[in-house]
Amino acid sequence: MEFKTVLTTCPYCGCGCGLLLEVLDGKVIGTLPSKTSPVNEGKLCIKGWTVHEFIHHPSRLVQPLVRKGDDLREASWKEALDLSVRRLKEIKEKYGPNSIAVLTSAKCTNEENYLLQKFTRAVLGTNNIDHCARL
Amino acid sequence: MNEKIKEKVSELLKEDKIKGFLGLREENGHIMPHLFCDPNELEFLSIGDWKKVGGARYPLNQILIQLAMAYPEDRFAILVRGCDERGLRELFKWNQLKEEKIVLIGIGCPEELARACECEKPFPDSLIEGPQGEKGDSQRVARIEAMDLDQRLQYWKTEFDRCIKCFGCRNVCPMCFCKECSLEEDRFVKTGEIPPANPTFHLSRAIHMVGRCIDCGLCEEACPAEIPLRTLYKKITGIIAEEFGYKTGYNLEEKSPFNVIEVK
Amino acid sequence: MAKKRLTVVQRLLEFSGIHPERLRMKWVSSAEAAEFVHEITDFAEEIKKLGPNPLKVKEAA
Repeated sequence: MEFKTVLTTCPYCGCGCGLLLEVLDGKVIGTLPSKTSPVNEGKLCIKGWTVHEFIHHPSRLVQPLVRKGDDLREASWKEALDLSVRRLKEIKEKYGPNSIAVLTSAKCTNEENYLLQKFTRAVLGTNNIDHCARL
Repeated sequence: MNEKIKEKVSELLKEDKIKGFLGLREENGHIMPHLFCDPNELEFLSIGDWKKVGGARYPLNQILIQLAMAYPEDRFAILVRGCDERGLRELFKWNQLKEEKIVLIGIGCPEELARACECEKPFPDSLIEGPQGEKGDSQRVARIEAMDLDQRLQYWKTEFDRCIKCFGCRNVCPMCFCKECSLEEDRFVKTGEIPPANPTFHLSRAIHMVGRCIDCGLCEEACPAEIPLRTLYKKITGIIAEEFGYKTGYNLEEKSPFNVIEVK
Repeated sequence: MAKKRLTVVQRLLEFSGIHPERLRMKWVSSAEAAEFVHEITDFAEEIKKLGPNPLKVKEAA
């Protein structure tokens, strides 16, 4: 038997509220706001409060999906990445770099977002990069 | 000042009287709930003082319910303040926990905390460490009662209208154990409407806390809009004490007036 | 049970700034037509005296 709470940061928005995941025998069973986090001081919004629900959710995506006709099919990371590389190259050659746009996410880390804009500007060669937090 | 607690818990663990002790752990300057299963871990034990006395209290009773559900045959010890002990008594009566499976490790609240909480009884009967403090004077409720009806309406309307419907007050509440919640019922509280119907949302919850609220104040601490929820629930607790002589969480034998059907 | 609840709700309403007389409970049997009419009329008059729901008035303004 093991029960502990793990201090982490809410993945939903840029506020970065501190929250505690309640972990019983390796399974996340609940969320509590961290009282000692200087950002949120023991408070959370509804998204933070329900953050544990998606972790073990049966509908959670755990594998890349590749579109085949009308259907999405589970694929290996290698297959999905190879396809992305091939198609991005083809599109860039045929229609030019400005035919591609990249959408990043507020749920990514700073570093991931930095890499994505670098990839977009330096590799794809376009300034078409935006993020989901522009609401 | 938690040597006596460490000693007692260590003894219980070594003698195999309990499977684990649910308390608070301090790690890298943060305080969080933790189940101590090994006496050696107890050096990280915290009683939840952070910035101020009792600044990092957590709903341990709520976690205990989950532990007991997963391990119904095992015994656990738990860190309790006066309010937590009152909560456990009610939870025993509501059949959410089994009294014989729980060992209470009581800690008394210092005057500073008792006063801030306006606590009726700032120490548990299972006191092992800490003071046996005096009752804190209650001013919160009296301040509202000094207003006339119109002022009260305006006051609560302004307070309730800040609600962002995070459900934090319900989620953090150690006495909220229902599987289905009327606050999620579209007919009472319309989905997607913020602020929620005023005052339906907060008064519905208040009515539901009758005979349950043990005045721990975690709801108010969790509220991002700083709505004075504790004042509301203190009033509720006061009403049933005055009307029915029922003091929530004080007597294991006596049931809430709403759990007793009198046949006349 | 209902009477106990009514007491609590009335006192909570009063604390929240809503006149407790806006909520009333009476026992009237189906055989007591006159009593029923009397209670309803009396309550309707009481409510008229108290005026419109203060929460609704303020919302409209």
